Amino acid sequence: MPPRSPGQQAMSARWMILPAVVMTLAMVIFPLGFAIYLSLGGNGTLPALGLGHYSRLMADPAFWSALRVTLVLFAVALVLQLVLGTALALALNRYNVVRGLVRTAILSPFMLPPVVVGMIAIVVLDPGLGAANWILESLGLPHFLWLASPRWSLLVVALIDTWQWTPFVALIVLGGLQALPARVYEAAEIDGAKGWSLFWHVTLPLLGPTLLTAAVLRSVDLLRFFDIIYITTQGGPGNATTTLNIQAYKLGFDFMDVGYASSVMIVLALIVLGSVVFFASLRKKVSW
Amino acid sequence: MSDTPRSRWSTPVFTIGALLFMSPILWMALSSLKSPQEVTAYPPKLLFTPTAANYAELFGRTDFLHNTFNSFVVAGASTLLGLVIAIPAAFAISWHRMVWPATVSLFARMAPGTLFLLPWFIMFSKLGMAGGYTALILAHAVITMPLALWILLPYLDATPREIVESGQIDGCRSGTILIRLVLPMIYPGIVVATIMSFVFSWNYFLFALALSGFDTKTAIVASFNFIGEGTTNWGALMAAATVIALPPLVLTFTVQRWLVSGLSFGAVKG
Repeated sequence: MPPRSPGQQAMSARWMILPAVVMTLAMVIFPLGFAIYLSLGGNGTLPALGLGHYSRLMADPAFWSALRVTLVLFAVALVLQLVLGTALALALNRYNVVRGLVRTAILSPFMLPPVVVGMIAIVVLDPGLGAANWILESLGLPHFLWLASPRWSLLVVALIDTWQWTPFVALIVLGGLQALPARVYEAAEIDGAKGWSLFWHVTLPLLGPTLLTAAVLRSVDLLRFFDIIYITTQGGPGNATTTLNIQAYKLGFDFMDVGYASSVMIVLALIVLGSVVFFASLRKKVSW
Repeated sequence: MSDTPRSRWSTPVFTIGALLFMSPILWMALSSLKSPQEVTAYPPKLLFTPTAANYAELFGRTDFLHNTFNSFVVAGASTLLGLVIAIPAAFAISWHRMVWPATVSLFARMAPGTLFLLPWFIMFSKLGMAGGYTALILAHAVITMPLALWILLPYLDATPREIVESGQIDGCRSGTILIRLVLPMIYPGIVVATIMSFVFSWNYFLFALALSGFDTKTAIVASFNFIGEGTTNWGALMAAATVIALPPLVLTFTVQRWLVSGLSFGAVKG
């Protein structure tokens, strides 16, 4: 609402935020405190409160493996989605085709439940009977193990998520592109910039804040990656796709190791928070 | 954007690209219509006689109809609860220009869902609510409430202050002002918030996976259980996937204009 004029502040609507505050306290803040308490050995998960769960974490190879898997998946998928999303946005902007079937194709993937995407992956990427290997075979290429490959399954998961979320990144970048000042382009044209150099020296720096927003939104989801992995590989083969979130869930609900699981989740929450703070610190550098 | 170059080939190229891109979704729908022998045929069959056998099995031999009903109950009720809490909160935040609620909800949005799950599980068990609808609806409202709040705020910020002030002069109380004067102005925002909340709640897997009981199992959690059952029945699995995918896809297209322009604008702004 536009700035308030003086002398007309009689109405107070502050009380209207109360239900939201109560809800947040009961369902978010209290559970958060309780999770910290559990991670410190509360509720009988340790004989005495302390950092026991955390020191066990530091010595646990499974934790370091899950951390590595989480960070690799995050980095690979984020770079792929930002690069491909920007490329797609440039093409959509240039040819102005966001309507009809193209619009449907852009919106459908990220509105699908990740669980459905995982179910499709199970069928399409089946090493024996899946359509993906049949396509490879038709092209004269050898079959691939896809999600069953101990070495490549993590990359396959990253590619599945990239299929689902690149259009979302493209939409954000498209919004950023369409908000760019036309004057800058006129000036750049006079200076003789075009094609690749126009993109590299003019468009990309101007897109900085938009790309940062996309990076934050995707990072928060990627670092907490769960659904598609839980549906398809359950963290396997071996531990190849066991992210911190998958590990924490298994520790808590399969092994009922509630305190230790909470410490993994707290570390994960801190990593997500750290990434958001990191991107926020970049904001000043890229703003114009 | 009238000066964009549009060559003769751009439309067909993008259309073919769009079809290829959506081919996994089309494959899902096609597979759900194949007979059990055809769905696992190798090489895969592109031409076949469609059959509803998988859907008949899904709804006839499993509890999937009840699971789908549960999904509607949880998504519908959590959408309603989220809106009822978010609308007055968004009004108060916008009118008084509060900053801290945005920060708090941002932190809540960043925390991994698993972090809340164990405390919730213990809380709901102690309260005797474990496995019930109420626990699931409250958990899902943690997703819908902040989402509705974020969607509604720009609409409220764009509402002229004079509207509220005219109500004040007439002696209306803040609740009356919100319901009588402001709600009709932000009606489009409420439609978008309702649809997006429903879709996000419908799609959410983790909370229902851990918190739903035998009777309250949602369609998404139930379909996950099909996968574990030894020899997976691909036809029924794809039929379940199609049923689950339908509501979000249909609802999305009712707000696609907003999604294409508004979502990207909001994200850029945020």
